[in-house]
Amino acid sequence: MTPPRAALPRTRDDFHAARGVLVVVRDPPPAVPPARGQPPTVPADPAEGVEILVAVWDDGSVTGLCGHVDLGTGLRTSLAQIVADELDVPFDAVAMALGDTARVPNQGPTIASASIQISSVPLRLAAAQARGWLVERAAARFAVARDALATRDGVVFVAPDPARCVSYGELVAGGHVQLELDPTTPVKPVALQRLVGQPVPRVDLPAKAAGEAVYVHDVRRPGMLHGRVVRPPYVGVDAGDFVGNSLVAVDEASIAHLPGIVAVVVIRDFVGVVAEREEVAEAAARALRVEWKPWPGVAGLADVKNALRTNPATRRVVAERGDVDAALASIAQPLTREYLWPYQLHASIGPSCAVADWHGERATVWTGSQNPHTLRADLARLVALPAPAIEVIRLEASGCYGRNCADDVAADALLLARATGRPVRVQLTREQEHLWEPKGAAQLMQVSGGLDAEGRALAYDFSTSYPSNAAPTLALLLTGTVAAQAVAFEMGDRTAVPPYAYAHLRVAAHDMAPILRASWLRGVSALPNSFAHESYIDELATAAGVDPVAFRLRHLDDPRAIELIAATTRRANWIPHTAPQGQGSDGNILKGQGFAYARYVHSRFPGFGASWTAWVADVEVDRVSGEVQVRRVVVGQDAGAIINPAGAVHQVHGNVVQTTSRALKEQVPLDARGAPEAREWGAYPILSFREVPVIEVVTMPRQGEPPLGIGEASSVPGTAAIANAIFDAIGVRLREPPFTPETVRAALGVATPAAAAPALAAPAVPTGSITPVRRRRRGAWSVAAALVAGALGMAGALLGWRPALAPVGASDPSLFTAAALSRGREVAAAGNCAVCHTAPGGVTNAGGRTMATPFGTLVTTNLTPDPDTGLGRWSYAAFARAMREGISRDGRHLYPAFPYTAFTRLSDDDLLALYAYLMAQPPVRNEVAKVDLPFPYGRPAIAIWNALFLDPGAYAPDPTRGAAWNRGAYLVEAAGHCGACHTPRGALGAERGGGAYLAGAMVEGWEAPPLTAASHAPVPWTEDEFFRYLRDGHTREHGSVAGPMAPIVRDLASLPETDVRAIATYLASLHGPAGDTAAVARSLAQASRGIAVDSEAARLFDGACGACHHGGDGPVLVGRNLPLAHYSSLHSTRPDNLLRVILEGVRDPATAQIGFMPAFHDALSDRQVALVAAYLRARFAPDKPAWPDLESAVARIRAHPTP
Amino acid sequence: MSGTGSPPLRLTVNGRDHDVAATPGTALLTVLRNDLGLNGPKYGCGLGECGACTVLVDGVAARACVIPAGGVAGRAITTLEGLAQEGMLHPVQRAFIAEEAAQCGYCLNGMIMTTVALLARRPQPTDAEIRAEFARSLCRCGAHVEILRAVHHAAALVAHEAK
Ligand code: FES
Ligand code: FES
Repeated sequence: MTPPRAALPRTRDDFHAARGVLVVVRDPPPAVPPARGQPPTVPADPAEGVEILVAVWDDGSVTGLCGHVDLGTGLRTSLAQIVADELDVPFDAVAMALGDTARVPNQGPTIASASIQISSVPLRLAAAQARGWLVERAAARFAVARDALATRDGVVFVAPDPARCVSYGELVAGGHVQLELDPTTPVKPVALQRLVGQPVPRVDLPAKAAGEAVYVHDVRRPGMLHGRVVRPPYVGVDAGDFVGNSLVAVDEASIAHLPGIVAVVVIRDFVGVVAEREEVAEAAARALRVEWKPWPGVAGLADVKNALRTNPATRRVVAERGDVDAALASIAQPLTREYLWPYQLHASIGPSCAVADWHGERATVWTGSQNPHTLRADLARLVALPAPAIEVIRLEASGCYGRNCADDVAADALLLARATGRPVRVQLTREQEHLWEPKGAAQLMQVSGGLDAEGRALAYDFSTSYPSNAAPTLALLLTGTVAAQAVAFEMGDRTAVPPYAYAHLRVAAHDMAPILRASWLRGVSALPNSFAHESYIDELATAAGVDPVAFRLRHLDDPRAIELIAATTRRANWIPHTAPQGQGSDGNILKGQGFAYARYVHSRFPGFGASWTAWVADVEVDRVSGEVQVRRVVVGQDAGAIINPAGAVHQVHGNVVQTTSRALKEQVPLDARGAPEAREWGAYPILSFREVPVIEVVTMPRQGEPPLGIGEASSVPGTAAIANAIFDAIGVRLREPPFTPETVRAALGVATPAAAAPALAAPAVPTGSITPVRRRRRGAWSVAAALVAGALGMAGALLGWRPALAPVGASDPSLFTAAALSRGREVAAAGNCAVCHTAPGGVTNAGGRTMATPFGTLVTTNLTPDPDTGLGRWSYAAFARAMREGISRDGRHLYPAFPYTAFTRLSDDDLLALYAYLMAQPPVRNEVAKVDLPFPYGRPAIAIWNALFLDPGAYAPDPTRGAAWNRGAYLVEAAGHCGACHTPRGALGAERGGGAYLAGAMVEGWEAPPLTAASHAPVPWTEDEFFRYLRDGHTREHGSVAGPMAPIVRDLASLPETDVRAIATYLASLHGPAGDTAAVARSLAQASRGIAVDSEAARLFDGACGACHHGGDGPVLVGRNLPLAHYSSLHSTRPDNLLRVILEGVRDPATAQIGFMPAFHDALSDRQVALVAAYLRARFAPDKPAWPDLESAVARIRAHPTP
Repeated sequence: MSGTGSPPLRLTVNGRDHDVAATPGTALLTVLRNDLGLNGPKYGCGLGECGACTVLVDGVAARACVIPAGGVAGRAITTLEGLAQEGMLHPVQRAFIAEEAAQCGYCLNGMIMTTVALLARRPQPTDAEIRAEFARSLCRCGAHVEILRAVHHAAALVAHEAK
């Protein structure tokens, strides 16, 4: 199928050069003169010629062009409806071009829901004009009067004789006709519209649902590289001397080990890495060592309200009537209030992404920007090219609701493409998008006013402080292209004038520079302003003892508003009330209903009015937990004519969900420096499916009226409606969203329920205390004797007394029997040789892994039979001596990190089998560094150490025990060398004996937990549980294996089941009788369920961990969701294992069924990890004391990652 | 896992075997998108929090951003692109289109894949079950109402077509 011609042209020139087309163009509108306090607009470049609005092609297809973009609002569909309707072509004949700078008109940024209201107007006129021309042409062809003709589905026909017809395609065939837009062209009357006003299905969804749509994230160019940026420490701040001036040094050597690095690009504070593969770029951005000057932080942001009060501002009175001061001086019932809006995020689900290609004098940038023409001007400035030399191609992206990092990342990509001369795709990380997106600004609204003696609203003295700006594209600032100055804009005035007839009114905007990097977010300053207006009038109504809706109606004279309010409250079954708490309670649940109304007035003051919106919210508040549930929202909307009613309803739904989320949950947490702290969704939760209210939309029938913006208008009164409903429920007024459970509890004066659980009523666990004693085979005297011998031995060693054993020729593997080899494989597996003797990413058993010990760092040796670098020249005698006595073939002592103190217990048969197995492996040449620890830990000292701690000789079975027990003890003590990790060591590094055997120890930063009755496991161990834990790597009653134990379990998989069972038998014998473990497990899991107190920590856990870790009421995902209450790591005296798992994740689990866990290292701060850990401890190990000083424990573990 | 050199990583995606040049530790999401050119799964957080990257592993929903590709070698991986049968979109995809259950659609992949996995397990889920299943699937545009409808619609379609 050949694509329609309408979709083909990429540039204006393509349109101009084409034959068989009718185009409607206009001269670019003159540049808007700069307006005080407004961001500068980017005018069209006259050099680019006329702007093309509509093209009708000879194949019957039609191109519509618009400078605005579809942000998931359905704009592409609505505009196509308008064009198809005016032109009388089938809907699917129209292809819309949106946002691409090389072809569409410059209509400014896609903001303020103005696309339909303003930007569609020329498009519609152009379509109407094209249709007029086509009719004219047909009239000449048929020699009839124009009004004898009609159009339908791309055909002009003679109305009384439809057989006489001609298609648009035929009419434009062969020629190139260009019409100048005539703004007086009549458009269709409403009665004749066929598509406008119909719920036409969205054009973009089928491809999106099929995975065929190409988002900006999906752009792939030939030879494309992948880039990542490294951002400076002044997180989310874009004004100040330090911006562009903080870089000290970049150490490129720190990523030299990564393959396929193409470039490290450094321009002042701009730092980027480019690699052939994305995961390498990602690793490089993480590993690159960058030194920055220290950044002091943002002073005073700990108290946002005060920061807004004291931020230097210019007061600008935008509306005044009556005499406010006089009225306030004599007011009967004064009421002074402050309302505070928090910093919030756009919080796009997809972090921003862009691709750029550099062609020398020209460049192409693929972007998801909401403002392609403004972006093009920024890019031109950044790389000093004329704007038309940069083609900005706009693709769909993740919804944005204002301005996220889309522009920033486009500039990043362009810099990296210029540096490499190849196309580069830059993907921001989730953390970067959260931290650096220009925030929706905090805002402070102050009102003085009150009631007159008759209870009417008399005066309203309103001021609003809004620290927003245009958030210059970051790379311009980081590279020093543009000075990083905070500029105050006049933007706080949107919807600043209340809709009510206050007799005396004064509205002032306190224009101020940004504090944090900020830009418009859905509703801009109007949303907070309306929150104040609509909360305040509710407070007045309560003070007057009048129903809040009735009170508003007394002060409203706009008939469309009054009709809308009537229709909305009727649908919502509004319960008139003059005081709160009329609905009573249901147990702990208090119910309330709230109302709010607004007409969104946007753009430069006095601005344009968009839709009228009214909300009725029904809420339920839990008076103990403080949780607020918005149960139902009825939204009434008068948006004038609606282009696509289905689309309009979807938009309202989206606005309700997002506004409810912002009202209940959203606030950018700030750290001690005043910098944004949220880097992922746990720290910045948004509404979940569980919390979505029932939403009903009441649409006012206004098809004859001009269409008005709906993209954000329906958000505007929402927060006040919810606050008013909460007031109705609890009788306490909340003036500072978000209305989190903590806020509500504080308002109600309810003590925060302790995170700690009520005492656990677990079934009694029999606590037999059996202390395993490693049975030493000799008494104190023999130790003393050995010591003497050892001293002699040491002397001998110094004299070279331990002989080297002669090298032998390569062993012939065929000499070993298959049975021996297979047994040897099992011994190797039980001994986990490969775990230590394999370097990360290296060949199995070829050595080279470094091992940190308290005495220094060692490197493991090559166990393959390579003659020069491995065991190839080792005789069995040499091998057995090493295993039993810790002496290398050359006579040197081996360091006891090599657990010969355990291997000495191996039976002769097993030792020989192991030797056979190792010799039968393919030899691998791998020279590993020989390490000699410094004095006093040198090799000679080991002779003394051995005298003290080595008790050579094979395992001697305990005749009082059964075969399975003895087999298990043998495996644990000998090959398994479990004690090497699980037994604490004394000062000299030897495993401690007696009751300390297997009593738990720290290894490479992990706790090897006690295997004895000293276990922290909350559910007692049984033989079965040990067996399953070692076989599967996880059990319901003990959670899953992690850290250095994971490879051990993997190795055990090659052991016969009977051997693993024997280990379990032995280990279980170290514990007392277990009792009813299932009941203990159940009660632990049960108890943890009741302790889910909503708090910052609970939200962090839920948002960051809750997809995988939940009590059965969440998603089912690949991997095991085991009860956290059963993990010994949560019950241990040390938090180390838990903290390590949170920071480092589980990347290489013991078995595939366990599943994977991401590392939260880059996503959570020390404070946040500590919060989560404390929460988990309190919730899942409620009978254990809180871990002390968690934050420094996190810092310590972060500083010493698992090697 | 201790390696013996680096043989190419073999993944079974949408019914076909692919040898890819990525190291086993590379996120499955990265491999699917960059090595196999699949656009369905999307990068949203890289932390398993949002669901944008959801694929099926042996029919169960999995967050491809947190899975090292080597960890699912040999298992059946299905992406959004692999749902259609004989040129016909999967009933879940059709239900989402019919209900217009997306605005920007960035989350749509995760919503559809999660629905497919849910319906395989629970063909007629209740509203509460659906909300629980989607409790940690994030949508910022607020398409939730339409998504909930689409899941019910999909359940009905799947049941109908099974007959
Ligand atoms: S991207 Fe995988 S869950 Fe968010
Ligand atoms: S539709 Fe945009 S995130 Fe869900």
